[in-house]
Formats: sequence, structure tokens, C-alpha cells
Amino acid sequence: MHGAASTAQLFLGLSPLAVSLTVFVLTYAAIVTEKINRSIVALLGAGLMIFSGVLQQSEAVAGIDFNTISLLTGMMVLVAITQKSGVFQYVAVSVAKWVKADPWGLLVMLSVITAVFSALLDNVTTVLLVVPVALLITDSLRVSPYPYLFSIIFASNIGGTTTLIGDPPNIMIGSAVGLTFSDFVVNLAPVAAVIFILTLITIYLIWGRKMRASPEDRAQVMAFDARAAITDPRLLKQSLTVIGVVIAGFVMAHHIGQEPGTIAMFGAALLLLLRVFGKDSEEQSHETHRTWAEVEWVTIFFFVGLFVVVAGVEKGGALDLLAGKLLELTGGDFPTTAITILWVSAIFSAVVDNIPFVATMIPVIQKMGAVFGAEQLRTLWWALALGACLGGNGSLVGASANLVVAGFAERAGQPIRFLPFILLAFPLMLASIAVSSIYLYLRYL
Amino acid sequence: MSIQSIPYYPPTNGIYPDTSLLDALKLMLEKHINHVPLRDVDGKFSGIVSTQSILSELIPASARVEHGLSDLKFAGDSAQLLSSRLHDLERRTVGEIAKINVPVLDADCPILEAALLLSQSTSPLPVIGKDGILLGMLSRRTLLTYLMQQAEL
Repeated sequence: MHGAASTAQLFLGLSPLAVSLTVFVLTYAAIVTEKINRSIVALLGAGLMIFSGVLQQSEAVAGIDFNTISLLTGMMVLVAITQKSGVFQYVAVSVAKWVKADPWGLLVMLSVITAVFSALLDNVTTVLLVVPVALLITDSLRVSPYPYLFSIIFASNIGGTTTLIGDPPNIMIGSAVGLTFSDFVVNLAPVAAVIFILTLITIYLIWGRKMRASPEDRAQVMAFDARAAITDPRLLKQSLTVIGVVIAGFVMAHHIGQEPGTIAMFGAALLLLLRVFGKDSEEQSHETHRTWAEVEWVTIFFFVGLFVVVAGVEKGGALDLLAGKLLELTGGDFPTTAITILWVSAIFSAVVDNIPFVATMIPVIQKMGAVFGAEQLRTLWWALALGACLGGNGSLVGASANLVVAGFAERAGQPIRFLPFILLAFPLMLASIAVSSIYLYLRYL
Repeated sequence: MSIQSIPYYPPTNGIYPDTSLLDALKLMLEKHINHVPLRDVDGKFSGIVSTQSILSELIPASARVEHGLSDLKFAGDSAQLLSSRLHDLERRTVGEIAKINVPVLDADCPILEAALLLSQSTSPLPVIGKDGILLGMLSRRTLLTYLMQQAEL
């Protein structure tokens, strides 16, 4: 195979920079318009990067971050199996009873469990599991579900900020740069906790003070039997054990010299083994097929295509230019660069999908390593992670989890309108970025 | 021969799109029927409402919709919730939940075609005359009873 990209001119006599930038812009524009499924767009863009000669296939494959892909896939399998046990419903009902079905207490506890689950599992699955139970309980208490849904959206994005595995941007950053599970917790959990508390205070001031439920309605919720939510106790034990081992693996990954992707995939295979152990081959086949079918392949192939597109635009040289322009804009001043990355990431993430944005910014920031030292570069990663994750709270389209909540709410007859949501969410998101700026300044700058 | 020779049920009186769900439910329970067709003020067919669709309305939305709760064992009897939702039926109309896109039988539909459509349907089918006027409902039982009589069985 000839090294087409090594020649100065490619398709129609254009330079690699021009070709890769064109494919990049077209791909991203198509993703943003959402007229075609994004996995299709990303794969077409990836194909064009190769066919046009910007990348050889081997370079394209090398550009795919298989650690991220396997971490995402492994966690999807683990969650798909675990949710069948009813454990999430069990936790939600238990916390509702723990606060004696008090409406405000319920909002706080549902937000806390959403944040915790989102830190350890993906946000979309978390909200898909929490929102139905939340709506059932608010239905029973005859309180408006809107404050709960609003809080769940914010909690999922804030919770997802705190760990390596909580949100795809963190997975991508951690994988590209070698940041560990503990690195994320130690550096991001403190500010995320503060932002979470401030968010709850805001929600209390707007809605919490007026929340009331009658003693009869609360008694109805208190009569819920949390243990009856566990549909498969054996599965519960198996899945919690394996997830516990996997998370311990993430925490220890650096010490044992292993990558999170391997740990997650191994855990998924282990749990699958426990599920099919003792079954005949037909049952095994059925169970295995069913489990693999629950992986969001659209998301996985979107990532695959996206990584190749970004590898192409990086090879073409556009990201070197972008890194240079960014440094020019900030005068090469480290604090200014960090705060700029934080705010630009947040605003972008509020309006467009943060995954393509982060995928592009990773090589850009890596190139700044030529100007900033290793310690300073780590601060830029925290700025990117905070901005990309928290920015998702800015609008209904800011994060996939937001859209999932909105979609569910619409189907359940409790629609969340775009404008009313953004009128409160966007300023609240900006406030969280302001808090993050103060945090970055005090801790690192 | 067409279904005109079969004594299908005449249209149920008084069920219009703005009839309350509670009234429609009372009628169905009283007459021991599970489906009732609606007609508008001009007598044209406007949809079908069933005990199943009304029962669905008693179930919390979080369990009814896609990706919703698949299991409500933990919620116990929830007698108060169900009672409250039953009372809500008084304020809601059949027009809100009526199924409109259902197969219909023309008044002169051949019997075999009617048998085919009924075999594929989970409910009786409306019989529609000229200009969409509702003439009645034909159920599987009525058709089978007629066929048995014709075959002298």
C-alpha cells in the first residue's frame, strides 16, 4: 500500500491539511445537524480520511483508542446485566423510604444516588434507571416531577465529572494521557461535590420550599417494598461482586500496571460466564446474544469513526495550527489558557456533543506540552474535563443523558420544554464553571 | 354473500369523543363488553375505546412507556393511587385515548374477508356504511355463531 499521505498533494491536488480539514468540518457539521445518525456520519468521515489518502488504514486503526472502546463496551455489558436484578429500583425505593417520603428529602436522595451511579456507570443508563422510579414516586406523592427531573439531569452530569469512568470525556482524556481513576477523584471530586451542594441549594430556593405531600400519599410510598424490587437475588450478588472487583481494579490499575479497558472487558466476560454457567449451549447462546445486543453499538461505532477522523485531521496538521492559535490568543500565559479552555469547553459542551469536541481538544492540548510543563498540562486536562462534563448541564442538548430524561418525561406526559429548561440551566451551569474557575485558580494556578 | 346478512351489534348509544372515560367504562362493565366504538355528532366512526386502554390509563406513566418500569411488585397494591386515577377518569374523555387507526369493515364486505380481518384483530371491528357512518361492530363470536348456524352445526 503506497503512503499516499506522505505526498505533498492528495485528492484534486489539495494538501493533506486542506483535505483532512474539509472532511473534519463536513463530518462535524453533519453530526451537529443530526439529520443522519452520527455513527454513520463518523464512519463515512473515517472512510473518507482513508480513501482521500490522508491516512493509511494502519494509521487509522492506530488512531482508534481501543482502551476507551473496550472500557465503554465492558461497562455497557456490566450495567445491562446488573440492571436486570432490579438493584437500581431497590436503591431508589429504599432511599425514598429512608427520608420518609418527604418530597424535598426525596429530591436530595434521588439526586445523590443519580450522582453516585453516574460516577460509576454511564450517565444515560443511570438516568434510564432512576427516572422511571422517580416518576412513579412523584406520581404517588402527587408532586410535580419537574424539579426532580431537573435535579436528576444536573446530578448525572456532576456525578459523571468525578471519576475516570463517569463520563465519556473523562474516559477519553484519562486514556489518552494516562490519568488514573484516583487522579480524577482526587482532583475533580472536591469541586464537583461543592457544585452539587450549591445546585441543590439553588433548587431548594426555587422549588424545595414549596414541596408538600399529604400524609396519606407519603404513607402510600412508605408501603412500597424495596426488597420486592429485586427480581433476581442471585444475579444481584453476582453483578455487585463483579462490579466491585472491576471498580477496585480501576482504583488499583496504575499500581498493577493494567488499563481500565482490559479490566472492564474482563469483568464483563466474567459476569457473562457467571450468568451462563451450567446452562446448555442453546441457552448460553441465547443469553450471550441478548447481552451483546444491549451494547450501544451506535455509540461504539461513533467513537471508532470519530477517532479516525480526529487522527486524520491531526495528521493533516490542522490541530497543530489550532494549538498554536490558542496559545497566540492566550499569549502563552498558563492561567489564561487554563481558564479559556474551561470556559470554551463548557459553552461548546452546552450546545454541541462534547465527545467530538473533547476528541479534538485532546491532541491540541497534548501539543501544548511543548510550551507548558507536565504539571501545568495536567491542570489543562482538569480544565477540559470540568468544562466538557459540567457544560453538558447548560441545555437539553448538552448531554445525551439530558435528552434521555427529556424523552422519557415527554412519553410520560410530563414534557420538559427546551426554553424553560435553558433559562435556569444555562445560568446555573455558568455558575458551576465560575466555581470551577475559582477552584482551578486556588489549587493549580 | 356479505356481512350485511350477519346480525352485528348496532352502535352503542351515547358514546361520543367527549364522553368521559368513567362513563364509557361504566357502560362497558354494565353491558359486559370490552370494546365500544365512538361516533361523532354526524354518526361517523371516530375510533374505538376498550377496557384494556382504560386499564392502561390507571397504570402510572412511568410503567406504561418505552424504557419504563417493567415490574411494579415493589409498589404493592397502591390502592390509593389506583383509586385516585379512577376518579381522574371522570375528567378525561374517550377522545383522548381512542384508537382511530383500526381496520374497518365496509357494509358490503365479503364474509371471508371479514373473517380474515377478524382473525388478525384483537377486538371486534367497526362496520362502516356510506360516508363513514358507523353501522355497528362485528365480533369474532358473532361471525362464528353465524357461520355455525349456516353450516347447521
